Amino acid sequence: MLREFFRLAGQNVLHRKLRSILAVLGVLIGIMAVVILISFGLSLKGLMTGEVAKVFGVDTFMVMDQDVMSGKHSGGMKEFGLNLETLKGVDGVKTVAAVRQRTAFVEGGTNGEGNVQQGFMPVMGLSPELLTDFAAFTGDLVFEEGGRQITGTDVDAAVLRRELADRLGAKLGDTILIAGEKSNEITATVIGILAASDEKQAEQGFASSMSSSSSDTIYVPYATMDLLWPEGNDFLVTVVRILPGYDVDDVADRAEVALKAEGSRVSAITSSDITSVIDQMMSYINIFLAGLAGISLLVGGVGVMNTMFTSVLERTKDIGVMKAVGAKNRHVLAIFLIESGLIGFLGGLIGTALGLGITAAACWGINTFAGLPAGASFPFVASPTLILATLFGAFALGAVSGLWPARRGARMPVVDALRYE
Amino acid sequence: MPLLDLKGIVKDYELGKTVVHAVRGLDLNIDRGEIVAIMGPSGSGKSTLMHLLGALDTPSAGTASLEGHNLHELSENELVTLRGKKVGFVFQTFNLIQSLTAQKNVELPMIFQGVRKSARAERARALLEKVGLGERMKHRPNELSGGERQRVAIARALANDPEILLADEPTGNLDSETGATILELLKKLSIDEGKTMILITHDPDAAAIAHRIVRLRDGRVVQEVRNA
Repeated sequence: MLREFFRLAGQNVLHRKLRSILAVLGVLIGIMAVVILISFGLSLKGLMTGEVAKVFGVDTFMVMDQDVMSGKHSGGMKEFGLNLETLKGVDGVKTVAAVRQRTAFVEGGTNGEGNVQQGFMPVMGLSPELLTDFAAFTGDLVFEEGGRQITGTDVDAAVLRRELADRLGAKLGDTILIAGEKSNEITATVIGILAASDEKQAEQGFASSMSSSSSDTIYVPYATMDLLWPEGNDFLVTVVRILPGYDVDDVADRAEVALKAEGSRVSAITSSDITSVIDQMMSYINIFLAGLAGISLLVGGVGVMNTMFTSVLERTKDIGVMKAVGAKNRHVLAIFLIESGLIGFLGGLIGTALGLGITAAACWGINTFAGLPAGASFPFVASPTLILATLFGAFALGAVSGLWPARRGARMPVVDALRYE
Repeated sequence: MPLLDLKGIVKDYELGKTVVHAVRGLDLNIDRGEIVAIMGPSGSGKSTLMHLLGALDTPSAGTASLEGHNLHELSENELVTLRGKKVGFVFQTFNLIQSLTAQKNVELPMIFQGVRKSARAERARALLEKVGLGERMKHRPNELSGGERQRVAIARALANDPEILLADEPTGNLDSETGATILELLKKLSIDEGKTMILITHDPDAAAIAHRIVRLRDGRVVQEVRNA
């Protein structure tokens, strides 16, 4: 009997095409908004987790100041102390690379008027392992012609950004003076200048983006930091690669315990930690988006309700006839509920298809034209859960919106309904 | 036992703030196989009586029983089931569902009784052939003439093989020639199929096919005549 009710309801939808189309349109727009917003959120999450996975992989974790991840420290990165040897000694650790950062007095060349260009700048020391084993952290840096990246054997060398090189009046091959603690100072040769023409690529490097004023940062070999500031336990970040066969979360936990036992205030962060932070962040974004989408769904639902009230009123006589020939109240209720559910489902079907199509096109557009960092992609995610949930939800939306009108139709006394003109 | 037995029926209903006494103490028996015409001027209670005879409504007072079932004692759903099985309606304005084909309109009463699809379709086709619409089964009501629509309605009334055919002014919206053929059809079917038929009508030609004519005035039976 249910199948027959579906057929009857379907016939009613088709019989009043224009009105059905308008009601479907209302639902469609709402569902489309939901699908676009959620799919876009999923794509955004895909982009972020993709980038995290690229940097971390399954065999890498970071050690940072414990306040950075807990959110107590709001100013970006923060220096912390730890014993690198302890970290290297943790079971399962293969390679440890560290980044140190300090502020130094820096003196460059002279400008056109003969004034020496100087100032306090952040100086970042990148350990050789970072450059060899963790290329993803520095990214594919693009150097101006003749420039090169720091290697493990460099000592008195520095890499600058184009803006900073201009400000210091330094050209490739020039020397700059970097003064550290006490009277420690070195004269470093500028071996590479990061091209300013491709800002985005230069920004991609993880190490470069760590500093709050990254365009000011002077990069020097790790060993050079030891010459300037001998203490050597003020890290911005350390990156750890584990040996094959170990679980990254286990090793990270052991490292954190070992370091904390020595009094270091650090946290070991794995990709799953970052992913869970991203998930949490995305869940807030999704709640906000769901609220927006909910409003459009509500409007669609009211549209369906309006259509169904008109439909019930218009078919009052049909209701009377159906009841006269043996339809019970629940039969009439079911027919009208299915009808409004079908309107919702139809809106859901088209809305989901359009929403996915628009999201796919937008993802393609972003990937093609937005100039994402090399290798990064804004993935199109067609979540089966989302599709099923929206289709079912759209049917339910229609049915719920039709409930009130349908009940009114179903409860109409047969004699009154038959008399209705 | 009469098929329909009405004793001391009173039916009042409220129309705005006034109470209308549509039927005021009416007794009527109808036997199986009878063709009864109920006549009377407007406001005599014909329509109200039809609603009561067709188990569409229950009386305010008195007892109405159909095949021994006292309508008063039935729940709304039982009333619907009884009506669906025992009564077939033919209306003045045909009252077909516009969005459905002739065949589907005929199938409608069987759908609500849960008749299987194939059996339903077969019976609908047979009934439409019987009323002379074998070629027009897939047409919708707006593609049919008035006489054809009433034939569809008659086929629908017979769908669940009811005891009673209840026709309310079946020729009221038809020209006299078409009306005459519809009356012929109704008479033939009720005799062939052994149905009890109740005709509510103004039309003396319609009343002429009846075994008995019951005249109403002011909610009471004022005359009963047996046709020869």
